[in-house]
Amino acid sequence: MLKYHFDWGTVLSGRYLDWLLSGVVVTLEISALSLALAMFLGVLVAMLRLGPLGFLRRLAQAYLEFFRNTPLLVQIFFWYFGSYKILPQALNDWLATTNFEFAAGVVALGIYTSAFIAEDIRSGVRAIPKEQMEAARSAGFGYLGAMRHVILPQAVRITIPPLVNQFLNLTKNSSLAMTIGVAELTYQARQVESYSFKGLEAFSAAALAYLLISLFIAGAVNLYTRWVLRPAAGR
Amino acid sequence: MKKLTMMVAALGLCFLCAQTPLAGDTLATVKQKGVLVAGVKDSLPPFGYVDEKTREIVGYDIDFVKAIAQRLGVRLDLKPVTSASRMPQLSEGNIDIIAATMTKTPERAKQIDFSHTYFATGQKFLVKKGTVKGLKDLEGKKIGTAKGSTSEQNAAQALPTATVLSFDDYPQAFLALQQGKVFAVTTDESILAGMLAKAPNKAMFEITEVRISDEPYGLGLRKGDAAFLAVVNQALLEMERSGQAKAIFDKWFGPGSPTPMARGFVIKPD
Repeated sequence: MLKYHFDWGTVLSGRYLDWLLSGVVVTLEISALSLALAMFLGVLVAMLRLGPLGFLRRLAQAYLEFFRNTPLLVQIFFWYFGSYKILPQALNDWLATTNFEFAAGVVALGIYTSAFIAEDIRSGVRAIPKEQMEAARSAGFGYLGAMRHVILPQAVRITIPPLVNQFLNLTKNSSLAMTIGVAELTYQARQVESYSFKGLEAFSAAALAYLLISLFIAGAVNLYTRWVLRPAAGR
Repeated sequence: MKKLTMMVAALGLCFLCAQTPLAGDTLATVKQKGVLVAGVKDSLPPFGYVDEKTREIVGYDIDFVKAIAQRLGVRLDLKPVTSASRMPQLSEGNIDIIAATMTKTPERAKQIDFSHTYFATGQKFLVKKGTVKGLKDLEGKKIGTAKGSTSEQNAAQALPTATVLSFDDYPQAFLALQQGKVFAVTTDESILAGMLAKAPNKAMFEITEVRISDEPYGLGLRKGDAAFLAVVNQALLEMERSGQAKAIFDKWFGPGSPTPMARGFVIKPD
């Protein structure tokens, strides 16, 4: 039935294997850094969005709508090429000597994902009955204290399943960074293809690597919910 | 039972049909369909780019496939491809012929067949004026080029200490050079000349004397399609003999064009 003969030996040995493995490392690096940035910004924006100050609420909403509703690829080009027109020349010259492709990729992925994370966190917080907040406030907590000690610990549990989705999307979206020359997994798979013409094998191997990374993330979060966030009853 | 037999037969027929564009005789298929589908570049003057006035893809590559389609007596259909996508597009049967600044290499020739060389150039570097005297000045620098091109592989070989950054296509690589994100853009001189001619600040850039490879371009055809290859080669030789090939060269690279170059080749059997 299958006419094609898979030639795994070529792709999974020598320099081609080295390229693919270095691609896995870069994919993990860019995903981890963007995830940290996305979580930080996501929590911050969600808090502003839920906060008592009308001006900040509207600002946070504008941020959400803008970054959620424009294509990630456009945002990547914006941070990499568009930033040149905005930043001062001295900074541009310095950035050119650094690994700016990688940094622009992290910023684009982090900000894009933070918009989705903020929305997930907001809906998690809104699922906690407002009486909880009222009770905490009347018990003497300030707004931030009530958030931190009463609302967020409960909201996080509800938010975890949708957050896992964002983590997985982020990892897969990181492949778009290849368009600005970040040598991540898809870039390397494409490179293996153009040297060896074994595109099907190279991209299959890359797909399998993405699958393993995704399963690992899902598994790790699963363990986290089971052990760290387990019901406090036993304590 | 009869129904089942019919279904199996229909399924088998589907498989047979599905295979024809891969194995079949392109010449016969093209003539039967009345259309030749050519994979071309659409943002790479003067080889293939969208003309601002007519909104049609024009260029050196396009004039060649146009002439071949005329000889076959069929309509020409242009399909934009990138350096990375052109070979898969051909082998999957989405296009019948590649005319997209494609260098003939032994590795590629294992996958597809090439026509006689219809254009020849060499790989050089586009840099900010006065920054590069020799290959040494490029060592350890960031060099921009396009994904899936021979330029990428030649640069990595000639400059092992340099970081080769591959963009989706050449315009992005040139933008990165203009913004100082890469130190040089490397590819065939003819492509560099085309990019330079379109740049708003062309006085700031120059093409180096440093040359790291020879780049003979061929039209790409599906492997083992001898009849079609013979027709295409015949057409190229006749175009050379009649002066049509030289006229096309002069139109795009002659002294009056934005990208003047010397024609250091003639089309001849390899």
